Amino acid sequence: MIWKSNFSMAVCQGDCNGVLSHKNMSSNDIAAMPPEPKQNQITSVIAIDLATGFFERSGSFSLIAELAKYVTRESTLALLWIDLDRFKQINDSLGHYGGDTVIAQIALRLHSKTGEFAEWCRMAGDEYLCILPVSDPGQAHQLAFELLRVIEAPLPVGDMLLRPSASIGVAVLEVGEDPFVCLERADRAMSTAKRAGGARVVISGDEPVPGRLGIVLAREELDMENKLHVALENGGLSLHYQPIVSFDGRIEAVEALMRCEVGGSNIPPGKFIPIAEKTGLISRLGDWSLLAGASFANRLDKAGYRTKVAVNVSRAQLASRDFAKALHAALACANVNPELIELELTESLFMDISTVVQSNLRAALDAGLGLAIDDFGTGYSCLANLKDIPATKIKLDRAFVIVLPHDRRAFAVVKALTQLGSELGMTVVAEGVEEQEQLDSLREAGVHAIQGYFHARPMPEEALLQWLQLRSAK
Amino acid sequence: MMPDDPSTFEIELEGTLRDIGIPPRPEILDRIAAEMNKDEPDFNELAHIISADVALSASLIKITNSSFFGFRSRVHSVNEALMVLGLDVASRAVAGIVLRRIFPESPRLERFWDASARIARLSGWLAQRVTPNTLRPDEAYTFGLFRDCGIPVMFARYPGYLGILAEANHEADKSFTTVEDDHLPTNHAIVGCLMAQNWWLTEETCLSIRYHHEVSIIETPTIPPTMNSRCLVAVAQLAEYLLQQQTGLSHTREWDKLGSASLRLLNLAEEDMAQLVAEAKAVIEAAE
Repeated sequence: MIWKSNFSMAVCQGDCNGVLSHKNMSSNDIAAMPPEPKQNQITSVIAIDLATGFFERSGSFSLIAELAKYVTRESTLALLWIDLDRFKQINDSLGHYGGDTVIAQIALRLHSKTGEFAEWCRMAGDEYLCILPVSDPGQAHQLAFELLRVIEAPLPVGDMLLRPSASIGVAVLEVGEDPFVCLERADRAMSTAKRAGGARVVISGDEPVPGRLGIVLAREELDMENKLHVALENGGLSLHYQPIVSFDGRIEAVEALMRCEVGGSNIPPGKFIPIAEKTGLISRLGDWSLLAGASFANRLDKAGYRTKVAVNVSRAQLASRDFAKALHAALACANVNPELIELELTESLFMDISTVVQSNLRAALDAGLGLAIDDFGTGYSCLANLKDIPATKIKLDRAFVIVLPHDRRAFAVVKALTQLGSELGMTVVAEGVEEQEQLDSLREAGVHAIQGYFHARPMPEEALLQWLQLRSAK
Repeated sequence: MMPDDPSTFEIELEGTLRDIGIPPRPEILDRIAAEMNKDEPDFNELAHIISADVALSASLIKITNSSFFGFRSRVHSVNEALMVLGLDVASRAVAGIVLRRIFPESPRLERFWDASARIARLSGWLAQRVTPNTLRPDEAYTFGLFRDCGIPVMFARYPGYLGILAEANHEADKSFTTVEDDHLPTNHAIVGCLMAQNWWLTEETCLSIRYHHEVSIIETPTIPPTMNSRCLVAVAQLAEYLLQQQTGLSHTREWDKLGSASLRLLNLAEEDMAQLVAEAKAVIEAAE
């Protein structure tokens, strides 16, 4: 095998056969070794990486600088920065020798793909750089996707078969651009690909890039979208439950609140919910929480607590033609009495006159579920419409509660709303209760139940069950 | 759809299932997910969790060594299996193994799961045979296992589902799920999708389950579902057809409705079928 270099500046330093002579190397491994560099036509001396046969990082800069001199409008350079995904795991599992074999075999694949049309450098342990002369940026993009495919083919290492993948950043050198700025762009594009979950190509200048659902997002949003996908596929979602306690001491319900944890860190709902809404992932998260909440209601029921579980439902879910089917699917999977489930919706959804939303609300009621109006009193409250809303519960927004007991006007509003709700046969709940004084004031106003830190913070399933047990014991 | 004759599903099966709660998600999946969710998942800890269940460990090693999973290597321990499969694939393999455990044992249900397992194996094989470089065999295998997991749940929850299933199997025009929707508030595809989602399966697998009776999904390139999802549906449909050809049992009209679209998507012609049927026979026999 002959290493053919367009620019033929390479000289092999040290023992080029050093890796080949490794005593544990099998014949397969030897066949898989990259070609040896050619040792002639030297215009300068660039060190060769022994494992790959590619130029070493130290030499890559002078190589790029040299090649950039010949760039014209018709013919320029594309830099493709390739970083293997999860390489640390491969190294940890196969040892450094195994890791080197992977690096070498991938190098061979990469080189076979480009042949003599590109120069290759090894930039770091698991990072390669392809320097490709192009007349059209599209050629570089095309090659990047082909290289990704080549990398992703199953890779035998010893008697194992791995499935490598890579993050590839592509930057095309513009006329007059400092080649090192271009190199940095390729590196940044690669990092964007990596942050988006790897196994993809990102073209520098194209960021923000489309997410997995094809919606264009800013970088941070893309990062968040990817985290949500990871959470959905790796078990990073959970529900925490906050009790709603009646003034007679009964547990009126528990509200399910979604938590998202990826890579050991919690993502606040304020960050992931907007992205979920923007990408449409909210429907999947919503369906998931319906089933998770319904399953917990079943578990509570079996443990002897006939407590309702209130699940938040988004506009996207309720506007979907499949909502009723998904709801029934959740009830079927969880095998739960529908009366133990309550859907929490914002006021505006009740006011939505679209036939889909209306028929979904009707389906939920017909199935026996309760409907609660969340954040009541701050949004599109229209008392005239209240008579038509089929809700079974209203939850007064925390804005009314935090000013109690001193704000007598707020107190008057709370009292009036409570009376109105009661007359309409609804349970009235106040949210965000933290102080005894607030509680006393709400009791005086006739509110039926309260939710807030005063009684308990949201907690995971097990903690809530313990909390309920302790409460029963008292 | 139903790989077995629905009439063999006896009425008492409905009763058996109805009285027994189906756990929403096996605990082992939560424990694996908790480890995977860490910044640096600990392979040894995961191997330890899985090894505690001897039957599960044995099945995981067997699956890793099976040809339909697409790995040529032989592994001998859970640790090796995890390394070869990777955590994501391993977690889904475990899900596939524990799937039938969560339902009560019943000879009739066993036959249903056996048929699902065969479709899964054939799907894994087809992924290598007809869609190389497109579908991952392990993904096709997992999809084959979970594709109809909504059926036992429907049996458990809806009295009279047996009759609806028979009607759907014999329906020549309307889609299978439309027949279910005509009688019930939900259908097995939506139930299966939700269950798969709750078991942390991939998005593509979940969506493929959701749409696996809809010919428009195979025919129309829309996103989502992705091309992979569409291929998954087509491959499993072909696997079911090949199995029916082999067993001589064909109680569904699904191939009439979805077959030609599936073949087009997979770049196969009717003339290829005889060869595939013969090869599929060998695949099934080799695995049993």
